[in-house]
Amino acid sequence: MRVLKSVSAAVALSLSLTAVGAAQSASGSINATALVRQPISISAGQNLDFGIVLQGTPKTIASTAAAAGRFDATGTASANVNVAFTLPATLASGANTLPIGTWTGCYNATANSNGAGCTAIANLAATTPAAFGGAGNLWVFVGATVTPAAAQAVGNYSGTVTMTLTYF
Amino acid sequence: MYRALAVLALTASTLTSRASGQVGVQGVRDLNFGVVLPGVQSSVAPTDPIKSGQFYFRTPGIGSRVRIRFNLPNRLSGPGGAQMNIQFSNGDGLLMGTSPASFPVSINPRATTVLQATTSSDANVYLGGTVSPSAGQAPGSYTGTIVMTITVF
Repeated sequence: MRVLKSVSAAVALSLSLTAVGAAQSASGSINATALVRQPISISAGQNLDFGIVLQGTPKTIASTAAAAGRFDATGTASANVNVAFTLPATLASGANTLPIGTWTGCYNATANSNGAGCTAIANLAATTPAAFGGAGNLWVFVGATVTPAAAQAVGNYSGTVTMTLTYF
Repeated sequence: MYRALAVLALTASTLTSRASGQVGVQGVRDLNFGVVLPGVQSSVAPTDPIKSGQFYFRTPGIGSRVRIRFNLPNRLSGPGGAQMNIQFSNGDGLLMGTSPASFPVSINPRATTVLQATTSSDANVYLGGTVSPSAGQAPGSYTGTIVMTITVF
């Protein structure tokens, strides 16, 4: 009888030690992901050219016009990009300025054309989502209106329009 | 050690509810580098609220000694068998208890971290890293698996 008690005590002690000493493990996993895109290239395809404007007479070049400005971009085929612009409020000729505004735009991912198939950009002051075409091209066209004053100083006026494309 | 203990600080009521729990690890969020360009190294900090990887773990309760280990990839796999290097540095891990009183503690994901839960039983671990696409890196989606193992002893 005493032997049995001793055995029981030993077993109980052993179980207790096992419970205290046991290590519990658990694992979880996540992924590390990255999306490799080819660098974006943008060139000035054509300046936005108002030609001759007359004092006191606003002149508009539509983004669908032949004289519209054009950016030529290349990147990863079919990749999404955000289109953003930095637009001048005036053109300059020395110290003289000529107001410019009412910007319009459109983009075409399949052809260098601002005719049919050119998707309108609703607001050039905001970021617009677009995508490169299957061949990795994107053509973006811009137009605007200049508003010369009645006494606008005569001269050549110019300004810079900057377009930024960002993958998303 | 004191910093780790403080990180796991929780309120008494939370401790009560967690005390009977089991060891568990959950992958919460992928480590997402987003768009990277060939030849341009790109890093994600563990503090990045969107791109950093995130794990959550819980222990059985207060007093648990916890060992944290990672299985980290050296490369991510991409299209057509392409691979891209990925590295983890000493400061790319961040452990944060779930208590409002907790504060972040930097951990090294390449090393084993041991801590003791004295006033809390669960925490989040955030992970950053760096990918190094080659100049001729093939465009496409790359992925690899990160495993975190918690051992309570």
